[in-house]
Amino acid sequence: MLKRTLIALAALAALGVVAFGALAWRAPIAPITPPAASSFAPALVAQGETLAAAGNCATCHTRRDGAPFAGGLAMQTSFGTIYSTNITPDPETGIGAWSEDAFRRALHEGVARDGGHLFPAFPYDHFTKLSDTDVHALYAYLMTRPPVHAPAKASKLPFPLNLRALQAGWKLLFFRPGRFQPSPAHDQQWNRGAYLAEALGHCGACHTPRNALGAEKRNQAYAGAPIDNWTAPPLTAANPSPAPWTTPELLAYLGSGVSPLHGVAAGPMAPVVHAGLAKLPEADLRAVVAYIETVGGGDARAAATAPAVSRALAADRLGLGATYDADARLYTAACASCHYNAGAAPNAARPDLALNSAVSLPDPTNLIRVTLYGVGANEGAPGIVMPGFGAGFSDADVARIAAYLRRTRTSLPPWSNLEQKVAAIRAQGRGE
Amino acid sequence: MSRLQRAIETGAHPLSRRNFLVVAASGGAAFGFAALGLAAIDPAKPGAPATPAAGPLFEPTIWFEIDAVGLVTVNIIRAEMGQHVGTALARILADELEADWSQVRIVHVDTDAKWGLMVTGGSWSVWQTFPIFSRAGAAGRLALIEAGAKLMGVTPSACIARDGKVISGGRSISFAEIVRRGDLSRRYTPDEMDKLPIKPVNERRLIGRPTPAIDIPAKTNGSAVYGIDAKVAGMVYARPKLPPTRYGAKVASIDDGAAKGVKGYLRSIALDDPSQTVPGWVMVIAETYPAAVRAADLVKVEWSGGDGAKVSEKDIQDHAASLIADAGAGSLLDTGGGGDVDAAFRSARSTIEATYTTASALHFQLEPVNALAFEKDGVFEIHTGNQWQSLILPTLATALDRPVTSIVMRTYLIGGGFGRRLNGDYAVPAALAAKALGRPVKMILTRADDARFDSFRSPSVQKLRMALGDNGRVLAMDHAAAAGWPTQVMAPAFMPKGANGRPYDPFAIAGADHWYEVGAQRVRAISNDLANSSFRPGWLRSVGPGWTNWAVESFIDEAAHATGADPVAFRVAHLTGKGRDAGGPPSAVGGALRQAAVVKRAAARAGWGQPLPRGVGRGVATSFGQERDMPTWVACVAQVRVDRSSGEVAVEKLTLVVDAGTIVDPDGARAQVEGAAMWGLSLALHEGTEFANGQVRDTNLDTYTPLRIADTPEIDIEFVDSAEPPVGLGEPATTVVAPAIGNAIFAAANVRLRHIPIRPDDVRTALSATS
Amino acid sequence: MISLRINGRSVAVDADEDTPLLWVVRDEIGLTGTKFGCGIGMCGACTVHVGGRATRSCITPLGAVAGADVTTIEGLDPAGQHPVQKAWISLQVPQCGYCQSGQIMQAAALLKDFPDPSDQDIDAVMTGNLCRCMTYVRIRAAIKQAAAELKGAAGRE
Ligand code: FES
Ligand code: FES
Repeated sequence: MLKRTLIALAALAALGVVAFGALAWRAPIAPITPPAASSFAPALVAQGETLAAAGNCATCHTRRDGAPFAGGLAMQTSFGTIYSTNITPDPETGIGAWSEDAFRRALHEGVARDGGHLFPAFPYDHFTKLSDTDVHALYAYLMTRPPVHAPAKASKLPFPLNLRALQAGWKLLFFRPGRFQPSPAHDQQWNRGAYLAEALGHCGACHTPRNALGAEKRNQAYAGAPIDNWTAPPLTAANPSPAPWTTPELLAYLGSGVSPLHGVAAGPMAPVVHAGLAKLPEADLRAVVAYIETVGGGDARAAATAPAVSRALAADRLGLGATYDADARLYTAACASCHYNAGAAPNAARPDLALNSAVSLPDPTNLIRVTLYGVGANEGAPGIVMPGFGAGFSDADVARIAAYLRRTRTSLPPWSNLEQKVAAIRAQGRGE
Repeated sequence: MSRLQRAIETGAHPLSRRNFLVVAASGGAAFGFAALGLAAIDPAKPGAPATPAAGPLFEPTIWFEIDAVGLVTVNIIRAEMGQHVGTALARILADELEADWSQVRIVHVDTDAKWGLMVTGGSWSVWQTFPIFSRAGAAGRLALIEAGAKLMGVTPSACIARDGKVISGGRSISFAEIVRRGDLSRRYTPDEMDKLPIKPVNERRLIGRPTPAIDIPAKTNGSAVYGIDAKVAGMVYARPKLPPTRYGAKVASIDDGAAKGVKGYLRSIALDDPSQTVPGWVMVIAETYPAAVRAADLVKVEWSGGDGAKVSEKDIQDHAASLIADAGAGSLLDTGGGGDVDAAFRSARSTIEATYTTASALHFQLEPVNALAFEKDGVFEIHTGNQWQSLILPTLATALDRPVTSIVMRTYLIGGGFGRRLNGDYAVPAALAAKALGRPVKMILTRADDARFDSFRSPSVQKLRMALGDNGRVLAMDHAAAAGWPTQVMAPAFMPKGANGRPYDPFAIAGADHWYEVGAQRVRAISNDLANSSFRPGWLRSVGPGWTNWAVESFIDEAAHATGADPVAFRVAHLTGKGRDAGGPPSAVGGALRQAAVVKRAAARAGWGQPLPRGVGRGVATSFGQERDMPTWVACVAQVRVDRSSGEVAVEKLTLVVDAGTIVDPDGARAQVEGAAMWGLSLALHEGTEFANGQVRDTNLDTYTPLRIADTPEIDIEFVDSAEPPVGLGEPATTVVAPAIGNAIFAAANVRLRHIPIRPDDVRTALSATS
Repeated sequence: MISLRINGRSVAVDADEDTPLLWVVRDEIGLTGTKFGCGIGMCGACTVHVGGRATRSCITPLGAVAGADVTTIEGLDPAGQHPVQKAWISLQVPQCGYCQSGQIMQAAALLKDFPDPSDQDIDAVMTGNLCRCMTYVRIRAAIKQAAAELKGAAGRE
């Protein structure tokens, strides 16, 4: 779910207002009468469905308990609250009056049919790389959805951030339009994966850090970033998970939401997997994995897996038997019934916390969030849940467990101010 | 007869023999119907209405009946809370009756005046019931033999009863047939009953044989029904909003504005409680329990009054110490003449002295207290699990302002008693809320609320002194113990008078009056009035001996070491069984010599004296159980490993030997001793809280840390084979574990710990003080 | 309305999605074998299976189990004859019994992951289930007995 960063447009005061004014206006594209659903070939619609899933369109454009694609999802950003828009083919409130040209311009250039600039919460900086054929299929899919009358909710942004025209300046600074260019240095599979990840999947939108104005830092691609009150871990070799992200791990994780050595897809990553990547054809999934694997280089470090696993299994035996370490007792009673492992390898259904990146990340946010709010049956490993301990545990209890795991499961420096962080995350709430 | 038994008989609810045994007044009445209108519970068929009796009924006493198909129903007035008491008691009756065990069922009855005193505690159930149920069974057997003989045309002396039949030579007739066809008008007067012959031990066919407990299957498939499962049409749920102090708080204002947004929230009621059981409680009522919980968090209540909001554990303990320092304070126990203690101390060659303390300890029974209450057909019904119905019923009558005869307590399984449900206070707010609302109210306390107003075990302070003469001979012993007194607070009529005429709480001092021969002896029981007024002290599994025996057995160990004696040998040498320690009938035959025997046996079993690795030690402790007149002789050897750097104490093994007389239910007895010993271990090392600002500090399992499975050591239990009368088993093993561990720590690391729970920090501090 | 399956039966529950599953199971569905002990996930009395895995229902919001498969003690075995239940009866494990629904559900889940559990496995996985009657010695023994029966059954297949 990408409901992230808006841009700090205040900084645009630095821009020349004249040049800016010339850029700010784009021509509207004439409205059309919505084409009949029957005018789209079923095969094309089906292809568009897969692409829409991989692009996670529904995740952002659907409100909780709302009709699919009808928009209205609130996205809290550090600049204010904005709401996703209705992309059903309703002519009045959705995109029913949009021609395919208008639709394509929105994806490729971040401009609405009426000529207004879209907020970059809509990741047109990635979608600009989409091929025209894929845009064509996506259009066919969306235009065949049931139309829903759902007027857009006005975003709650302070002036002047609420001026869409100002977005033009941001584009001038950061936006590089253009279709995906395959790399001749890589094979076809890799290039397919790179296209899916960079254009449609917009992985970087969450996993690449952003500058003060909210644009992805090109020189730090996939280095990890905060997102929606979570942390999107680095996909690069800087990922601190004790076991490297090898091809089989990535395949399992992106294909099912569960990897034996890294745990489950939770938080904003849950729908990315379950509503998106898991729906890709096997070949496409493998292609994405092939690409991401080269970002992190996990296969080259595969030898690190075995020692990491044996360290993790040894750590699982800590705190058992008569021990009066109050934190160990708390952890064992609250967590070990599900997270303890024994034998030669951890059981994928018993995520081993010594291997879980949440325990190794420099920031405890993900661990605290999962501890407080749990993981639902439609997230993580499908059909099973982790309960949320926030319902009964004090901030101090949650902090104790986090500190204990950090102390006993890693050799990394302890997290600071844990209790305050727990309180802050509790105050943020679960989010949607 | 037991001091406590006497206290009970002279108390508010006399336990006369008449209550124990009602002989059918006429032939007509003998063929009556099962007690009407009593829901009662049959733990083998939870939730289902008790199977109606078939046809005519033989009901020679109130304790059991046999119907026309031969089904024997035994009425149990004791609460089932894990001791499988119904099974054990029914075995006693069925054995004497010569019933076919497969035809026996048990019913845990609802309250009714005819049952007399209804209380389950003190490990008394088997001990008190044994003589009554034996005779009830014998009466039934004799009547059946007489009637059966007549039907077969033989003389009663030519018949025996066996397996639900009366047999004469090659012929037999079933109990069922006798009930259908026979003349069962035989009646017994109480005096006749007393004289009825009880079978010799070698004729027992059920007692002492392994039996599956009747209540267990339902406890493995979710069908067992506890108080928290009670339901009735139209009930609403309540969670109380608890005042800052147990006593004296008055509701000044209630603001439920925020709670009104909770779906299902109905209203908040400040209880008006004439019985003063729950002063200042506000009941937050909702359609569902989660709604009541959420709403209660949002309801804002202001209270006035309520002293003690600042009282701390330290205040209470300091107060106890100052009471002990005042030689005039407290009640003196009758220690059998005692001798001149002060003179002995003056003439002593040396003296030793030590002070022992214990922390506040919660019941933490796993089922939080709850009650469902409503009025129906002029009777106020309270549906809840309770251990002492006879105590709370008069309080309910005061609270509801109606006669006690129009209140009935329906019986449910109890999800852990351990003494918590001897105090039935939790029935009162449910009843008052139901009365105020005019509809059924089911109240459940959250775990934290349950802990906050638990009648927890008072912290205690004890000072022990010993005067030693030549060659380490013990001349005198002086023991003063101060703690909150549950009996004074909740049932003052049950307090006997001490040798100086002042009443004392037997449940707060028993154990100090031990069976060691120590010359002149003084035992002083002191009520800690600050504890009593700050919280409601409770009876917790093993009651007084839970702390007195911690002190006595640690101190005896200190005395052994002070005199250079081996701790086992020292104990045996002073368990001489002379004088008042000789014991006697009915229940204490053999006296201190039986205690010496269990000490020797446990030592032998545990390999006492055999070498151990460095840092590992064995400690011994013994107990006579809950009270002198009902002694259960127990000895325990603990083997512990002390980690000198962390201060952690790992218990490697507990060896227990128990002499509880006749064991009615061997496996059940073992289960009780296992549980009791683990409780002792938990109280010794794992749990314990502190009173702070008028509340207990730890209210849930994140910080209150009872023993868990990973902490459970190897345990070895032996029962002494005995034909003596059966005595209690639920508690005695609790009291020996802490001192055995403390003594083992001394053996392993040469440091003496005098406070429980023993925490690693305490051990480390003690170690650094000695090195 | 939130739909889920309980003991194989589809149910739709009209309750807030943050209502703890425990109270839905007990009070809305009427299956009271699942118990309330601590309400904070630290005693295990409320353990049910969600998707076959032991789960503390007191801190699991109803919304988290939308569409999921929930099994309670009443549904563990149609006749109450799951090998764990049989072992519990044969070794007479329960005392007050209040924790035992949760213990049994946790033990049944344990044996799926650890068919041949060591003492350490049992300690780790069962430590979250408090038994205030302290029936731990028997719980350990009964789990091993049930494991043996399950292995025997697997061997015969
Ligand atoms: S009631 Fe759920 S874990 Fe205690
Ligand atoms: S049997 Fe009573 S809590 Fe476990």
